[in-house]
Amino acid sequence: MSGICQECARRAWLLAKLGGQLDRELERHDQSSFWSVLELPDLELVDAIARNRRTELHTAYADWQPASRCRDEQPQALCRHHAAYPRHLRDDALSPHSFELRGGVERLRELLEEKVVAIVGTRTASDYGMEVARELARGLATCGITVASDFAEGTSSAVLAGALEADGAPLAVMSKSVERCTPAWRAPLCRHVLERGCLIAESHASSRARRWWQYASARTLALLAQLVIVVEATDEPCDLACANVAFSRARHVAAVPGRVSSASSKGANRLLMNGAHLVRGPQDALDVLYGLGICEATNQALGAIDLQPRLADVLELVSRGQDTPAKLAASGAHTDDVAVALAELELCGLLARGDGGRYVPCGSVLAR
Amino acid sequence: MLARARTFTLEGLNARAVSVEIDIRPGLPAFAIVGLADAAVREARDRVHAALLNSGFEFPARRITANLAPADVPKIGPGFDLALACGILAASGQIPSELLDTHALFGELSLDGEVRACHGTLAVAEATKKAGLAMLVLSPQRAREATLVEGLPVSVVEHLSSAARVLSGGSGDQLPEQSRAQPSIPRHGPDLSDVRGQTHAVKALIVAAAGAHNSLLSGSPGTGKTMLAGRLPSILPPLERSEAIEVMRIHSATGKLTGGELLTERPFRAPHHTITTAGLIGGSRRGWVGEAVLAHNGVLFLDELSEFARPTLEALRQPLEDGRVSIVRARHSAIYPARFMLIAATNPCPCGYAGERERCACREVDLARHRRRLSGPLLDRIDLLVHVERTAADYLADGPSMSSAQAREQVIEARQRQARRLRADGILVNAQMDAPMLRRHLKLDRQGEQMMARARERGLLSARGQHRALRVARTLADLDGCERVGGEQISRALTLRPEVGLAGRRAA
Repeated sequence: MSGICQECARRAWLLAKLGGQLDRELERHDQSSFWSVLELPDLELVDAIARNRRTELHTAYADWQPASRCRDEQPQALCRHHAAYPRHLRDDALSPHSFELRGGVERLRELLEEKVVAIVGTRTASDYGMEVARELARGLATCGITVASDFAEGTSSAVLAGALEADGAPLAVMSKSVERCTPAWRAPLCRHVLERGCLIAESHASSRARRWWQYASARTLALLAQLVIVVEATDEPCDLACANVAFSRARHVAAVPGRVSSASSKGANRLLMNGAHLVRGPQDALDVLYGLGICEATNQALGAIDLQPRLADVLELVSRGQDTPAKLAASGAHTDDVAVALAELELCGLLARGDGGRYVPCGSVLAR
Repeated sequence: MLARARTFTLEGLNARAVSVEIDIRPGLPAFAIVGLADAAVREARDRVHAALLNSGFEFPARRITANLAPADVPKIGPGFDLALACGILAASGQIPSELLDTHALFGELSLDGEVRACHGTLAVAEATKKAGLAMLVLSPQRAREATLVEGLPVSVVEHLSSAARVLSGGSGDQLPEQSRAQPSIPRHGPDLSDVRGQTHAVKALIVAAAGAHNSLLSGSPGTGKTMLAGRLPSILPPLERSEAIEVMRIHSATGKLTGGELLTERPFRAPHHTITTAGLIGGSRRGWVGEAVLAHNGVLFLDELSEFARPTLEALRQPLEDGRVSIVRARHSAIYPARFMLIAATNPCPCGYAGERERCACREVDLARHRRRLSGPLLDRIDLLVHVERTAADYLADGPSMSSAQAREQVIEARQRQARRLRADGILVNAQMDAPMLRRHLKLDRQGEQMMARARERGLLSARGQHRALRVARTLADLDGCERVGGEQISRALTLRPEVGLAGRRAA
């Protein structure tokens, strides 16, 4: 692979050989132990986890020869010893030894020159979570921040879509190879990201997907970002991996508060209890990044809207959870009046239609 | 001797004239039928033989050849029995042959000579009149159906001997009660007053009925989607006479017509989701029509839309666009009318609880797969998306919001306004307006113009979506009795637009 030295290519080969053991490490130990293992140099890593394959792997490691055929086509690959390897990652022992890149070295450099904010969350996000993630990404991308996310389903899709809507250049960290978008139905999003942004993924010298790859991509994301925002996350380790790495590296971690009764908000709420910053919208994120009031979020909609009292009332009710025409009508309003108000608020960009006919506050409502 | 009788065969929904030529000459006794007859026609030999003997006539013990002309047209069904029997009687000199050429004969014979009804009587009656024949001779069971054709003399014969009497210049049997077709009395189906709560959905249903808009009811299991759809026929306006004749022609040709009265209720067809493409569209065999054709001028209700096979749903595109089904097979082709109002019901996601926060267990990929089953050209032809929500317990104790009679009154008034405006364009309802008609008939006030412009700017509506919203807004204005479409109607139309919500925006 172009851009990867033999040492780093051998590391990728070794990690592929130890893929099963690394997955087992994840199952048996907590994340911090796993990260410690991943930081180990090659032969120490073999000694630590290879068990009865140690001798075999030591021999194979000593005899390792690079692949005879080099691929010059996309994706490009960079290793720690390459001049274009991001400085964010270079000094950290936990960072990937090599990664694949699509979008170009120059564009990646430009993206990383700006502040990078990683926005992550659960794959099974609610409408609310999706809309918050989207608005955060849109708001931050509008301010010139590089918005990064993994390429998982759910929250990440909304983050990347939001950044693209604001004509931003998102950075997506995939867990599998960037060469081919999997699953195929997400190929359009992949294409849109590549139009302006970059896709990166740790180089894996194996075609068999491993569970630890997800954690590896979360770790790369955390190391690239100056701020990690968790929108909606369960308390499953994989949902919080990115935030945990950021905490361990003393990076800023923020979370969007969720309902206390919601399983998909448990992780985010726990982060808040553990000292994460509370983020309600792009402005809060900017305050964390730059300091209170230093940078103003671009408010695209509110200034122009002179909200009539009847619309403000409906918006308030929707924000309180009376988010369907039937629930709004139950509060005493006429069905037709409710329909008219909802349409007007949607045209103002203050509401969006969600699943099941529900209306979700969005845009500047979240920023207020 | 040679005799020639006149009858008809069905080709799709239309009848085609057939000349039954009987030749009797000396030779070994035999009875041959030629002229591309199907099994039912070939079996007529035995029925006719027995019926003639059991009716007191003589069956000539000579060589009988029956030719059904034109010979290249396939002849289907048992409706040739009466013409064959009367042709043999005339050829053998048992009855005079003069009237055979001016009377159309249509009916099946039982072994004792009784004349039985056959499918497609209405089409045969229309073809008889068109052919300029003096009279249609048929069984009493379908006499009412035939009398729907204005100015066609009908002679009812209960038995082969009665037919012989008519062809000898005598009179037929007594016409059954209510010989002239009367409008059927509307049946009392489920009423809208059974519905509690669901004000938003009931109003949307009225809009759909008023403009004949294709609609999709989406909601969690048990919210009442099927209940609402089942009450749609009770608020639809009655069939006009021309519409009723079209519907009866289809149902008569397929044997689904139970009485001969002029229908007033619109057809409501609700096939199961396991239906095949042929079952929905037709064409599995000659003369077979699908549910889409049977729903002509009525409602086609597809419950659990996402469970229907994708090719089956795709096959609905042509009828939804053109209002007709064109079936072309190796040996036959036919065009059937299929202008129906599509009402579909579906869960919002595979688990059924999308939008109900914690309850929905679907991942993005599940939602994407669910949308793929529904999306595309079919959804593009749906005007209204009605979200049916779970009714709060206190609403269940409330009284009904509206009865079917009240809703039907509103719908009829709105339809009358539409008919007055659109009749010159050859259509009757707003849902059938194309873009030029929209430009002619839809006048927006200033607020309405502004709202449409804002919807376009925000990307809420595609080009086709704008037309859909405008059609629905026009129907809302018709329901409100307004000549111009205002901002309020546009707003309400936007809340009913079928564009998917956040889920659809997820993957960018």
